[in-house]
Amino acid sequence: MPKSKNTKIASNDPVVKTILDLGERLKKSPGGQMTLTDVIGVAELLTSSLQPLLRRIDVTLQQELRGILMKIETLRSEISKVHADDISANRIPEVGKELSEVVLATEFATNSIMGAAEKVLAGEEKNDKEFRELVNEQMMEVFEACSFQDITGQRITKVVETIEVIEERINILCQMMDNHGKKVDPVLSDAERTKRKQLLSGPSSNGVDQNQIDAMF
Amino acid sequence: MSLDTSSPILVVDDYSTMVRILRNLLKQLGYENVDDASDGTEALKKISEKQYGLVISDWNMEPMTGYDLLREVRSRSETMRLPFIMVTAESKTENVIAAKKAGVNNYIVKPFNAQTLKGKIDAVFGA
Repeated sequence: MPKSKNTKIASNDPVVKTILDLGERLKKSPGGQMTLTDVIGVAELLTSSLQPLLRRIDVTLQQELRGILMKIETLRSEISKVHADDISANRIPEVGKELSEVVLATEFATNSIMGAAEKVLAGEEKNDKEFRELVNEQMMEVFEACSFQDITGQRITKVVETIEVIEERINILCQMMDNHGKKVDPVLSDAERTKRKQLLSGPSSNGVDQNQIDAMF
Repeated sequence: MSLDTSSPILVVDDYSTMVRILRNLLKQLGYENVDDASDGTEALKKISEKQYGLVISDWNMEPMTGYDLLREVRSRSETMRLPFIMVTAESKTENVIAAKKAGVNNYIVKPFNAQTLKGKIDAVFGA
């Protein structure tokens, strides 16, 4: 059996020495048999020799697990600041609704303006007085239809705000990946929160209509 | 009783398009004496300088919202009875109730037409 450098060093260890002795005795014994006392002796020796190692492993393992636990806690705390559920449950569906409303509003306004223009073009054969009245009436329709710009502007602003919030939260996630344990800035500053509280959230898809408002007055 | 057509009206809205629409609608209804302001702060300044017969205000404006303007107007003895109509895209029940509690005379939800505007002005003045 070739002896390695490790074997030479290890052979000074009482456990290794005992096992090597046992191996020699086994080779020399006629049936390759060993006594139960020899086996128990080796087992006891192995157990006692492993105690310091197991104690060291136990302490190191505890420290590592505690470290992992703290990192998980930090990550959990930081992820909660991202409010991913708010983005998926509220903000993204709301953005979809807002954009759909913008499409509807612009379509309605376009149809109204085109309708007014067509009526004016079709009224050229009327006398001056009637034609002037028709033009005035249709111009009012055009003015009313143009009010879509105000509403769609507010809706688009809400969409832009949502995109900004998502951007901010992605940045927070990126920071978390780069710098574990470093303090992350809040999604909104106190000043921003106050400012937002003072303003309404813009047009609502689920608000009451003019008739319902009239009933309240 | 109805609002005198020569009576000055203050339109408050941060969207110049909306101000223009309101001016045209009011002109169509016979009201040509119309001033405008782009937010509550500017409106308050104008209200303190001139006696208006009616204020028509948007809600969503910065830095001072239409709601804050309404509360400020109602808190001042010289303007506490100034007719005030809120014109806004915001139509949540709680906001209509809040405006009513703050003393708004009527509430118009955008988009609206000339008839709705006339109806609300008439309602405010008991015509």
